[in-house]
Amino acid sequence: MSLYSTELGAMLVVIFFGFLPNEVWRVLGVLFGRRIDPGSLWMQWVQAVATALLAAVVARLLLVPSGALVALPLSLRIGAVASGIAGFLALRRSVLAGVLTAEAVLVAGAWWLGISP
Amino acid sequence: MQSPQIPPPPDPAAPPARWFLRGMRGAVSTPGLVLVATFIGFGGLLHDLAFPIGAGLLSTLLIWALPAQVILVGGLATGASPPALAVAVCLSGVRLLPMVVSLMPLMRGPRPRLGWELLCAHFVAMTVWVEGFRLLPKVPEEGRPPYAAGLGLGLTLLSMAGTAIGFYLTGALPGPLAVALLLLTPISFAILLVRNAKQSVDWLAIGLGAAISPLVANSPGGLDLFWAGVGGGTLAFFIARHLPRRRA
Repeated sequence: MSLYSTELGAMLVVIFFGFLPNEVWRVLGVLFGRRIDPGSLWMQWVQAVATALLAAVVARLLLVPSGALVALPLSLRIGAVASGIAGFLALRRSVLAGVLTAEAVLVAGAWWLGISP
Repeated sequence: MQSPQIPPPPDPAAPPARWFLRGMRGAVSTPGLVLVATFIGFGGLLHDLAFPIGAGLLSTLLIWALPAQVILVGGLATGASPPALAVAVCLSGVRLLPMVVSLMPLMRGPRPRLGWELLCAHFVAMTVWVEGFRLLPKVPEEGRPPYAAGLGLGLTLLSMAGTAIGFYLTGALPGPLAVALLLLTPISFAILLVRNAKQSVDWLAIGLGAAISPLVANSPGGLDLFWAGVGGGTLAFFIARHLPRRRA
């Protein structure tokens, strides 16, 4: 029985391992905002790490998925995201257009392959 | 697509409660709709990973940053240790600092108070940041703190509704639509990464982070995201510094 399999345990995990380590940046931004130079080398490095981390999250969700996404072939998962990016770039850089393009490709592909998770 | 946002009439005498309500109304917009859709996807992910819905809703209210929420919930499902996940969550939250620093002058109002500033800063994430720059300049300075809080709370409540809808909908949807819901998260993250990438260091960080991630999957202690983020980001930072400068 893991800590987060109960509602209360999961809430504690959310507060102590999610809310606090995330909120600290917002509090720092308020307290020291006027003294921090967003263009400094240190902040540039920190930004690069945050960007790489987000890209790693996307890659992990696509390449090593869990749950129902396993039923989708890798090519369809990557193809849907790639078409979403293409749709975003082609259709006036609209996030909504990109998301809808990717979802259309995904649903059509999943329906074609007869996938049911 | 432009949202039909009506600029609030210039009425500096309006009480804070009215600015708060106007802010909440400002949450109903195209960016708000996209945000709700991604939180429906997050709700589906919660259901898929058998994460309790109450704690999932709490994560939307308190963490209020989808990448951090996905790192935490997804990591717990793969058996990563909570302290390692806290490190990854903390690293992912770094981008919030420059957002707060740059938006705070618009949210502060004429008489800054720490409590209001902390409340407004809590709501700062991608959507509030973008929408804040669009909407707050049209609000008189006195009304900005309550307007920003209303906008943030409105988007949070909509997103919590989205989280719950996604959670209870996944089981009821036919196969292709259920997987569509689950893939909403990586799709929107990928598009946001491309949208925010401006310099070569950003593109390098995206490429390296994505490339390192599968190589370090299942690294001991659930630190794979840490290695992909710190390793990929540091590499990107140093490579970009040694590239010939194209932009000042």
